[in-house]
Amino acid sequence: MAHHDKDKEMSWGDWIRALDDPAMARTKPEAMEHITVLDCSYANIAGCFASSIFGELGAEVIRIEPPAGDPARNFSPWGYMHMGTGLGYLNEGRNKFHITLDLEKAEGQEIFKKLAKRADVVIETFLPGVMDEMGIGYRQLSADNPGLIYCAIYTYGQFGPKANCGKADVDVADQAYSGITSVTGEPPEDPNNPRPSEVPTKQGNWMGWYAGGAWAAVSSMAALHYRTLTGKGQFIDVSPAEAFGRCINYGLTYYDGFDDTIPRVGNYDVGVFPYTYFECKDGYAFLSGFSDINWKALTTIINRPDLRDQFPTIFDRLNLDNMKIMYKEIEKWTLAHSYDEIYDAVMDYNKNIGEGIVVPGRISAPMDTMKAENWWVREAFEKINDPYYKELMMANQAWKMTESPPRVKWICRPVGADNEYVYNLKLGWGEKQLNDLKGKGVI
Amino acid sequence: MAREEYFKWAESLLDPAKTFEKPEALADIKIVELCTLILGPSLPSYLSEMGATVFKVELPGAGDTMRSLTPFAKFFRGCAMGWLKEARNKYHLAIDVRVQEGKELFRDLVKISDVVVENLRAGTMDRWGIGYRQLSEINPRIIYIALNGFGQWGPYLERPSYDAIAQSESGMAWITGFPDKLPLKSGIWLADYFGGLMGAAGVLGAIAFRDKTGKGQYIEYSQAENLMRVLDWTWLYQHFTGKGRERYGNRDVAICPSDIFHAKDQLVAIAAATDKQFKGLCEAMGKADLATDERFATQLSRLKEDHATALLDIISKWAAEKTCAEIDQLACKYGFAASSICTGKDHFKDEHLIKRNFTYTVHDPIYGDFVEEGIVPKMSETPGRIKWAGKPVGFDNEYVLKRFMGMKTDAIKGLKERNIIGKWVDQPPGRRPPEGWDGKRGTILF
Repeated sequence: MAHHDKDKEMSWGDWIRALDDPAMARTKPEAMEHITVLDCSYANIAGCFASSIFGELGAEVIRIEPPAGDPARNFSPWGYMHMGTGLGYLNEGRNKFHITLDLEKAEGQEIFKKLAKRADVVIETFLPGVMDEMGIGYRQLSADNPGLIYCAIYTYGQFGPKANCGKADVDVADQAYSGITSVTGEPPEDPNNPRPSEVPTKQGNWMGWYAGGAWAAVSSMAALHYRTLTGKGQFIDVSPAEAFGRCINYGLTYYDGFDDTIPRVGNYDVGVFPYTYFECKDGYAFLSGFSDINWKALTTIINRPDLRDQFPTIFDRLNLDNMKIMYKEIEKWTLAHSYDEIYDAVMDYNKNIGEGIVVPGRISAPMDTMKAENWWVREAFEKINDPYYKELMMANQAWKMTESPPRVKWICRPVGADNEYVYNLKLGWGEKQLNDLKGKGVI
Repeated sequence: MAREEYFKWAESLLDPAKTFEKPEALADIKIVELCTLILGPSLPSYLSEMGATVFKVELPGAGDTMRSLTPFAKFFRGCAMGWLKEARNKYHLAIDVRVQEGKELFRDLVKISDVVVENLRAGTMDRWGIGYRQLSEINPRIIYIALNGFGQWGPYLERPSYDAIAQSESGMAWITGFPDKLPLKSGIWLADYFGGLMGAAGVLGAIAFRDKTGKGQYIEYSQAENLMRVLDWTWLYQHFTGKGRERYGNRDVAICPSDIFHAKDQLVAIAAATDKQFKGLCEAMGKADLATDERFATQLSRLKEDHATALLDIISKWAAEKTCAEIDQLACKYGFAASSICTGKDHFKDEHLIKRNFTYTVHDPIYGDFVEEGIVPKMSETPGRIKWAGKPVGFDNEYVLKRFMGMKTDAIKGLKERNIIGKWVDQPPGRRPPEGWDGKRGTILF
C-alpha cells in the first residue's frame, strides 16, 4: 500500500478516519459474504448473538424457528412488545433471514438436512443430544457435509458429569455458575444484619449469554480458517457459563495458591485502590490513583497530602480496612463537587502538572449515554429505518474496519417472513410446495 | 439413538485428554502484541489457545504494568496473578521500541507476522513510526487492531480510559446492582476481558476476509462501544418508551421467572425461559396449577409487573424451605434452570469443569503445576490448549530472534549491548523468575 506524501502529513486521527469511518461502511465488501449460517437457537440469546456476529460481518444467516416462533421473541422488559416482537429478540434479529421449520417432524428434519448440506456453520442451543436424536446432529449432518462447522451451546456442554443433568440454559444460571456473580455485589455493611441488596449480584444485562455467543462465534470463525487450510469441518461445544467464567480475573489460581476465595468487595477492586465509584454533588464519578505516582496525583488534586503520608505504599492501599478509610476521605471531596468540576480539576492536573495521572469518568445512566453526541458521531449508535419495524435505533459492533466493516441492513423479521424467499433460493420451491408444507404444519 | 450413547460419542470426539494428539486451528497465524494490562493482552491470549503464535513485546526492565496487579498484593510464586493467566502461551520479548534500532527490530517482526495488537493511546504508535500507516507499507497483508477506551477519533479522543470507565460510560454499571445502592462495577474487569474477546472476533473476521482476498486491514475498537453493543434491550426500550433503564437487582425484568433466591442453606439462581420450563418448575414446587393460572400461563403475562412480583414471591417462599441441592435436583428432573453461586473454590473441586478443561492444570516449565481458568470452546479437530504461563520479561528474546527472524548470535549480542533488547529487573516484584530458579529451567535458547 503506497501512501502519497500528502497522506503522511495528515494527522493520525484524520488519516484513519478517512479509511475507517462507519459512514462509508455500506460502500465496502463484507468479510463473511461467502458464509452461510443456520441458527436453530431456541429460547437462548447466546445462540442469537453468535449468529448476529456472523450477520454483522456479512454472512447469510438463516434463523430457523418452530412454526409458532422462538420463545425468545417474548423476552422483553415487562412484556413490552414492538409490532409483536420483544425487544431483547428484536435487537438480535439483525441481518438474519427468518424462516420456520418444525424440526420435530420427520419432514422438517429432511428439509433441515438439505439446508445443512450446503451450509458452512450450524448453531444450536437445545439440550445435548436432542438434535442427534432427531437425526440432525453433527454426526448425521457431517456425513453429508464434512466441511460443516457445528456449534452446540449449552450451560453444561456436550460431555462431562453434568452434561446430562437436564437443567435448562438461562442467562442467570450461566452467570451464577461462571463464578463471576460470587465476586460481584456489595458486601454487608453490618454482617449481622445484611440488607437484601448486599448479596452476590449478576450483571444487569444477559452477560452470560452474550459471553457464550461471543465464544461460539470466535471458535467457529477459527474453525472456518482451519477449514480454509484443510477442508475439514468440526464439532464445537461451548458453555456460556464457562465462556463468562473465562473472563474472571483470578479465581482458580487464587484458591490454588492461597486456599481462599476472592471476596465480594462491591465497587472496590482487590488489586487496585483507589479505582472506584464515588457519589458527587450531581451524580457519580469514577476516580483512580493506584501506583505511588498516581496516588500522589490524586491526593494533590483533592489537596489531601496527609492521606499520602498515612497510606504511602500499594501494600497499605490494598488493605480492605484502609480502603474504607481512604474511600470516606476521598468521598468528602467528591460530595462537595459536581461531576464537571471533578472532571475539570483532574484533567487540568493531567494536562498542566502531569506528574502521574488520574483517570476520571462519569457513571452514566443509559439515557444519558444515549444522548451523548460522541456515540452518534462514531456510529456506535445508529438510527435504522427498518422496512418492517420502521424507525428505531441500535448499538453497532465496536469494530471499525477499513476493508470489510460490519453493518446492519435490517433489524429483524417477523416469524416465517422469509419462508418464500429462502425456500425458493435454497430448494427451488414455489407457492405450491410452501402451501403443501404449511398444510402439514411443517412450516 | 439413546441419549447415553450420544454422550459417549460426544466425549470420545471432544475428550480433552486427546488434545495434544490433534492440530491447532490458528497454527499458521503469528501475532505481535504491544499491549499492557488486560484489554489488549487478552485478545492474543484467546487466539493463542487456538494455536496462534504470539510475540508479546514489552519494554526491557519493568515491562507490562500488569505484572504488578495482584489481589491484596499477594504474589504467586513471584508472579502477579492476573499476569500469569493472560500472558500464557506467549513468547516474551523485551524490545525498546522508543529508539530507532528497536523500532527497526519491531518492524522486522511485523514483516513476518499476520496480526498486530496494540492498546496504546490513539496515535502513539503512529508518532513512534510503527503505526498502521507505516506497517501496512511494509506488510500489506497485516491485520492491525488498536483497542482502547474511546477509539482513534471523535469528541472523546483525549479521554483516558480504564475498564471501570467503559463499564460506567456505557451504562453497564448503571443497570447492574440494586436500586438502593450505587451503580455497580463488575467484580471482574469485564470491559477488558470481554473487550479482548470481541476484539478477537473482529480479527477473525479480518482473517476470513484476508483468506479470501489477500488483503489486510485496520480495525479500530472502543471497549465502551463494545459494552453498549451487548446491553440487550436497553436502547430499544429507551427509544420506544422514553423511559430510562434502571437497576433491578438480580431479577430479570425481561424473562420471568429469573432471579436469585435464598434457599435454606445458600443462594440459588432459578429461572424458566419457556412455558415448558415454567410448567416444570411449577410441578417441582408442587403447584402445577400455577402453570395454567392466567396470570402466569404465558411469558408475556408473567412479565407484567404485578404478576411477576406475585410469582417471584411464591418461588421465594418455596425456595426458602429447600436446600440448594434439593432445588438443583428438582431442576434436573423438571428441566428448569438452577445453579448455586459458584466460587473459585467450587470451580477448583468441580469434577465436571475439571473433565472439560475449564479448570485447567498448567504444567509450566518455569512455575511448575498450577490451576487456572482454561479452555472455553471444546473443538473436535483443533482443541484449545495451554502450554505455558506468563514468563519473566525478555525471557524468549534469543529464541525468537534466532528462530523466527534468523538473527545470528553476534547480532543478538550487539542488540543486548546497545540495550535494544533486555531482560527483567529484580524490583518491582513480578518481573524476574521465581525464587530458586536454576538459571536454565524453561529457557529455550540461551
